[in-house]
Amino acid sequence: MTPSALASIDIGSTYTKGALFALEAGAFRLLSRAETPTTADNLAVGFGRVREKLGPGGRGPEDFPVYLSSSARGGLKIAALGLTADLTLSIARMAAYSAGGKIVRTYSYELAADEIAGLEALQPDIILFTGGTDGGNSAVVLRNAELLGRSSTAAFILYAGNAKVRDRVLALLDGKAAAATDNVMPEVGTIQIEPAREVIRKIFLKRIVDGKGLSTVVRETGRDPWPTPLAVFELVRRIGASQPGWSDFGLVDMGGATTDFYSHTEAFTGGDSVLLRGLHEPLLKRTVEGDLGLRVSAAALWESERAYLTSRLAAAGRSIEDFDAYIHRVSAQPESRPEGGAERAYDEMMAAACVRAAALRHAGTLSRVYTPQGGFHVQRGKDLRRITRLIGTGGYLSRTENAAILLEACAPGQADADSQPLLPVSPAAYADEGYLFPLLANLAGDYPDAAARTAVGGLRVLKG
Amino acid sequence: MNPQNIVLGVIGADCHSVGNKILDAYFSEAGFHVTNLGVMVSQEEFIDAAVETDAAAILVSSLYGHGEIDCEGLRAKCIERGLDRILLYVGGNLVVGKTPYEEVEKKFLDMGFNRVFRPQVDLAEVVKMLKADIAAASRP
Ligand code: B12
Repeated sequence: MTPSALASIDIGSTYTKGALFALEAGAFRLLSRAETPTTADNLAVGFGRVREKLGPGGRGPEDFPVYLSSSARGGLKIAALGLTADLTLSIARMAAYSAGGKIVRTYSYELAADEIAGLEALQPDIILFTGGTDGGNSAVVLRNAELLGRSSTAAFILYAGNAKVRDRVLALLDGKAAAATDNVMPEVGTIQIEPAREVIRKIFLKRIVDGKGLSTVVRETGRDPWPTPLAVFELVRRIGASQPGWSDFGLVDMGGATTDFYSHTEAFTGGDSVLLRGLHEPLLKRTVEGDLGLRVSAAALWESERAYLTSRLAAAGRSIEDFDAYIHRVSAQPESRPEGGAERAYDEMMAAACVRAAALRHAGTLSRVYTPQGGFHVQRGKDLRRITRLIGTGGYLSRTENAAILLEACAPGQADADSQPLLPVSPAAYADEGYLFPLLANLAGDYPDAAARTAVGGLRVLKG
Repeated sequence: MNPQNIVLGVIGADCHSVGNKILDAYFSEAGFHVTNLGVMVSQEEFIDAAVETDAAAILVSSLYGHGEIDCEGLRAKCIERGLDRILLYVGGNLVVGKTPYEEVEKKFLDMGFNRVFRPQVDLAEVVKMLKADIAAASRP
């Protein structure tokens, strides 16, 4: 039996947000919305407040089912360990990101003593340990297993490397919280991240439920929470698979601390005289940039995108000193909102810088190779040129009126004849009106098509 | 080092693919586990693949005449990346024009390749040599 109303609540690190929907004709209709500051000491309190506002008196699953997600506790911190940077480490990153995780550090080759010490101090939630094809390298892998086994790290160690030495690796990790799954790269260039992704998802879930007060919420709602980024990943997959005209699209989720870029498009389509080198990336890809954000990461953004921001400031005739002061203020007070024209202009430039850099890092490149018979091209990474639609979500992008910010994903003004980033060319731009994506994403598990339809149906078109 | 595993590819900006496919089929048939990187392979890609697969040998092809520039430094990079015992073979049309084969061979041996082959080489002979060389390299 389909319930008449469903609630979706997302417990974020600053706000707990919710919406009540009615399911009608294969799509969700928004009935009410509510928001309250997250109660970090006991998440159940904020959750209860939102639920009460959504449907007064609604206490249990018998009134309306509640779907929930949580990104509280800062997400899942993953340290990725691979053998070579361009092969297993690169695939380990893909696996971590597509499971909704956040990569805090990466390592390749044999772990050095200072790297082990760093890892112990870092305290990630998971160490994703890869390296070697099946039947390939075992010397470095076993050595790293030995080093991790002897270390004091309390992280969960997930081994997804050379399957031929799996038992020996697990034996060396005896006494640690550890598990093994299929190799992320069984053969050179073959990407197999689903099994690792699934294990990470389960660990993520368990960790979220262990969060303060969440077990109470789970008991009351009778439902496990989704990690927010993973829920959004699945919603993007559903949109791409089920919505007509949406097979090639991108989503930029920009917040105060990070900018996430999702692309749903075939990574390599070949064509005459184009050769793919390196890994063939997946149809659905997520990257997370921890130094691109409007508030908590404002100082990091100013540092990594200084050249771009400086030229934007100069073009707008604004002073670097004032901008610098603004950056300092918003990093110290992440909840601050812009006041006045100058501050709004600063936020806009920062948002544009985040979108641009996130897109450039997500995309592959095409470079021209000269041969006596003329030119042909080598592609590395993912081709985003077929993307026809681009959505902005997150507090800032869901409210913007300005298509130009999102269209920075096309990195206008970038010119290099020999190496070109494979960015979207001229996509239509949309805003996730009402910031509904995370809430609809919670419903995508049980109602995939309705959630996808509602998500695209509710978008606001941004005019260029 | 895994004695079955070998890495194969055509180095540089070279896109001659026919010989590469023949070598892949031949060495697979002869019992090797071949990681074939195809055409237009950089030195870094050869080395990454050899590290991940713990390969016993890298077989480099060069057909278009720029083999000398493309292969320079491969041995040093292998050593830097920890592949200190890997066998390096090279074959094809290694240089432009009609340089006597002995000169070509010397050039590539000096660069650190273990063996150098002409295009007309008998692949059955190569398999024998490779097996013997790997056996010798595996001895401590
Ligand atoms: C077909 C061909 C092409 C095709 C390739 C199509 C394709 N997808 O492969 C096209 C038209 C694209 C082409 C382009 C060019 N080609 Co061309 N091409 C040939 C041709 C006619 C045949 C190559 C072939 O397939 N042979 C059959 C295979 C089975 O033999 P193979 O490649 O030699 O490989 C065997 C052996 O060499 C050996 N081997 C190879 N590697 C190794 C490695 C080891 C370890 C071992 C043990 C053995 C081994 O075993 C292989 C299997 O039996 C040759 C001439 C010839 N007859 O060889 C010229 C030839 C190779 N090309 C040549 C040239 C110059 C070019 C161009 C630069 C031409 C130009 N001016 O534009 C471009 C280069 C493009 C590029 N970036 O690579 C020259 C190279 C001259 C040199 N080295 O001194 C040749 C020799 C022609 C000539 N006589 O001038 N070419």
